[in-house]
Parts: sequence; C-alpha cells; structure tokens
Amino acid sequence: MTVEGFRPSSYLASETARLQETIGNGKAIAAVSGGVDSTVAALVAKRALGDRLFPVFIDTGFLRVGEPESVKARLGEPSLGLKVKLVRAGRRFLDATKGERGAEEKRKEFRETFYRVLGEEARKDGCDFVVQGTIAPDWIETQGGIKTQHNILEQVGIDPLAAYGFKVVEPVSELYKDQVRVLGRYLDVPRDMSDRQPFPGPGLLVRCIGIVSKKKLDLLKSSTKIVEEKLGPFSYDQYLAGVIENRLTEEQVYKNMGGTVAEALGLPASETRVDVFEDRVTGVKGDTRCYGRLAGIRIQEESRETYGWLPEKLRLAQSSIVEKFSDITRVAVMVKEKRGGPPLSVIIRAISTRDFMTAAVAQVPWKILKDIAESILKTGDSSRVYYDITPKPPATIEFE
Amino acid sequence: MTTIPVVYVKGQYNHLIARRLQELGVDSRLMPPSTPPEKFEQMGADALVMGGGPQSVRSLDSLTDELRDASNLMTRIKLPMLCICVTHQLMATTFGGMTNLARKPEFGPVEISVSDEDSILSGLKPSFTAWESHNDEIVAAPPGFRVLASSDNCMVQAMKNEKTNMFGVQFHPEVSHTTRGADVFRNFLRAVDDHRRA
Repeated sequence: MTVEGFRPSSYLASETARLQETIGNGKAIAAVSGGVDSTVAALVAKRALGDRLFPVFIDTGFLRVGEPESVKARLGEPSLGLKVKLVRAGRRFLDATKGERGAEEKRKEFRETFYRVLGEEARKDGCDFVVQGTIAPDWIETQGGIKTQHNILEQVGIDPLAAYGFKVVEPVSELYKDQVRVLGRYLDVPRDMSDRQPFPGPGLLVRCIGIVSKKKLDLLKSSTKIVEEKLGPFSYDQYLAGVIENRLTEEQVYKNMGGTVAEALGLPASETRVDVFEDRVTGVKGDTRCYGRLAGIRIQEESRETYGWLPEKLRLAQSSIVEKFSDITRVAVMVKEKRGGPPLSVIIRAISTRDFMTAAVAQVPWKILKDIAESILKTGDSSRVYYDITPKPPATIEFE
Repeated sequence: MTTIPVVYVKGQYNHLIARRLQELGVDSRLMPPSTPPEKFEQMGADALVMGGGPQSVRSLDSLTDELRDASNLMTRIKLPMLCICVTHQLMATTFGGMTNLARKPEFGPVEISVSDEDSILSGLKPSFTAWESHNDEIVAAPPGFRVLASSDNCMVQAMKNEKTNMFGVQFHPEVSHTTRGADVFRNFLRAVDDHRRA
C-alpha cells in the first residue's frame, strides 16, 4: 500500500517537537488498547518523553477473550518497550451502561467512566497529560454528529482539565488509518500489529445492540472469537460480530417490505420474508446520522440452494430497502436458523475499505458463512445468524 | 505549485478532498466558508473545491450560515470551482436551478452514465461506479449549466458552466471506493491549468 504525500520521518520530527513543547518537563499517561492508533500515539510520545510516559491499559470488560493479558505482553516486547499498567474496571463500566438502550447514551456513559478511570490513574502517577490515539475519522464523525467516539472531548466542547483533571494530547489526530499504519511500520511496530483490524474503543459495547446483559455479552465474546478465527486468514479489512435481541416490530410502515425484497431478488414472495428488529442501529444517510432499524431478509432454504449467494440481487434488495424506507439503515441476510433456540441473533459483518470512511461489503463465500453460523449456533446461546449486506454509507462499520 | 483550498462545510468527507488533492501534488487545506474572498486571492488560490455536508439547500431563504457564506463565495469568486454533493445542489439553488427531496435517494455504490465526457468526466464514458449519500437532488439544472452525467435515480450527477468554469458533481470523487475519483480531480486540474493560461 502506498500512501502518497505522507512522509513518516518528517511527521515524526515535527510531532515529537510539538509534544516536547506542550508537555515540557511534565509527565503523561498514554491510554493504550493494543490497537495501531494508540500504540503509534504512545510510541511517538515515548520518543518525546522517554521515561516520563506511563502507558495504561483499561480493562473495560468489553474486550475480547484474553485481550488485556495479550496486549500487555505484546506492547512490553523489547522492540516496542511499552511497559503497560493493567487497570481492571469491568464492573464499573458494566454498572455505568446497565439499562441503557440507546447507542449514544451507552457511548456517553462509556466515555464518562473511561475518563474518570484515566483521571484517577493520572493523579496516582502525578501526570498532567493524557496521550491518546485519536485519528481523523474519530473527530470528523463526532463533530458531524454521526456518533460519539469515546475519545473525543475538546472537539465537542468538553474541557478535559475541568472535567477530569488532565490535558489531552493527540499525536496522530490529523492522520487517517492508512497513514497511521505507515507511521507504525516506520516505528518498527510488527506488521501483525500495524495491520491489525480496528477494534473500537468502547469495544464489544457497541456490538451489543440495545440493552447490555451478561448473556448477550457472553454470546458476543464467543461469536467474535469464532468469526475472527474463521475470517482471519482472509484479507478483509474488518470482520466482526454483533448481537441483537429477536424483538421484531410490527409497524405498518414496513408492511410492503416483503414485496420490495421479493421483486429485487426475482423470487416469488412466498420464498422470502423480512423481519424488522425493534432495537436501533447506527447509520449515516446524506451525511446525517440515521439511528434506524435493521431489516433481516430470510430466503427459503431450498431457494437459497438453487440460487446460491445472489450477491448482485441482494445488493439490489438492500439498496431498494434503504431507498424506500427512510428509517432502515441496515439490511442483513439470514445465514442459518435454529428453531427453539434462545431469542438472540448474531450478525456477522465483513468489509473492505482503505480509510474506514466508506466501506464495501466483503463477498465472503457462502460456504464459509454457513460454517461460521453452524459453529455459532452449536454453542446453543442464539437462534439465528445473519450476514450484514450494507455498505457504509448508509450503515456505519460498527453497529452502534 | 497549484493551490486549491477546500471550503469546509462540515461534511464527513471534506478532509478526504484535501488529501486527494495533496496526493496529486496540489497545495490544499481546509478553509471555512466565512473566509473573505480577498483572502483566497492573497493566498494565490488557483481554484476552489467545495465539499458535501449534512444540510439541505432546497431554498435560499433557509440556508445555514455556513452554506449562505458558501453561496456568496460562489457568486463572488471568479475562479474555477468544483462543488461536491450538497454544494453541487447549492450551486443549482444559487444560480436559478432547483433542488428538492429525491424521489429515490442514493446511498453507497451508484452507476453513473456519462453523456458528455469533455472536461471533468474525460475518459469516463460510457459509465463508472461512484459512491453517494444524499437525500436531496437537483431537479432542474440552472440556466447556463449543461448536464454531463446521470444515474437511474438522479438526473444531474454532474454539470458544468462553460463560461464560468464551474463544475458540480452529486457523487463523491474523494472517497476511495469511487475508484475513478482521481480521474475526476485530474481532469479538474487540467481545467484549472487551462483557465490559468487563458
């Protein structure tokens, strides 16, 4: 991948100089997650501050299986040399988000808890500054009202010093993901880390659609593990799982959706069905946030076997739905169902993108999707598995 | 070096425009629409690009401050101009055309049929795939503007005014999924060069 016009050496020189000027002889905490953005931000800051930088990893409880330990070990390797302090705060995050159904409310509660914990850690270490890996799309989306990214404060008028007792420094905030990766490789970040797929700050919270519960979170963790294992060998830019409750809406506006879908797919109406889920998911239509609904298309098993994947036709069905129904931001197609299972659905999502500003649906072979669905259903914690067939726009990459 | 500021009207992709232009060797950064026109002259701007945004521009009477400023820049600045998405629609509203709620909005990939491939769509005939995100559309191009391309859902995907060197596109040439987007910018740069020499 070439990133024209971006020179890591000169960026690094000017950014370390800027950090030295801002922080002077002070100390700083670096909030790290193991992702490429915060790792690169911490490494830039380490160049500027040396031992006056204290990397901290907050275990929010919304992380993947084994993640806190493996990140701590990876970042501590000699080539990176980031000695990470692990702060366990899972209980606090779960309590803070309990009972919240709305995506924005969940994100804001997460942000509040995240910075309170960071503030406490900063005080313990006598740090006046917090270094974080905010990148350009984070603040563009927050400023544009698309969604509240957990790491955006000053850009939306929150003064971190007054609210949490520290100043924020963001060494990579003007860069896009692909530029951060180039900078990471320049700083000797191992390729598997610099090219790692993104994982959102609020983690599995934003993939646990609607109200958070232990049951949903556990299903999400096991499904995420399966999806990452099975899709890892392919070169999709991002691949993930989400969980939604099987509560369906019967609102009249959606009544004709079945006909729209059957027509787009070129199938008799009797062979397809569309369910619209009650809980809302985040999308972006016409540069405006659209907190809308998810439509799940079901194609009769026998027709599916006859017609195969139908990627082109499904694409048409997806765009017909989001054009006609202004409240729908996402469309998924059912991969497999287990009758009588718990009323939860898992949604698989895989996309290709360069800068995460737009995203195309990856054409994962149907056989692989079926294989993943069978593994997920085998755990007995869900009854349906879908594949998300919505590009960004009108969906976003993450669910909330 | 060619200097082309991007007028920032709060769209998600506005920053990508500056990035794409920088990749083509242009000196480009974001400027607010409230920038006085003289300022663009002082900085030696050769052209302007205006991006998209979340606002609606169906009537000139209900514009946000930002878009009112952007509309004023369109009438006051005599430089080549490329306007994208909402500012493409604003150009129609400003110069006597009409923008309205789209009968069928477009989100994601859209097939663009090119009817006139001179200037900014040079080399893109007969059609190409571009990415879009809009609820409104131009329903009548303003006088003096010629339609260059359309899609199944939207009549005015691209238009130009020969005399004033103003171009508008409904689609987003700046996003990476519009794979021929760089060609649109390259063509625009050629028009800017021609204008400078004339």
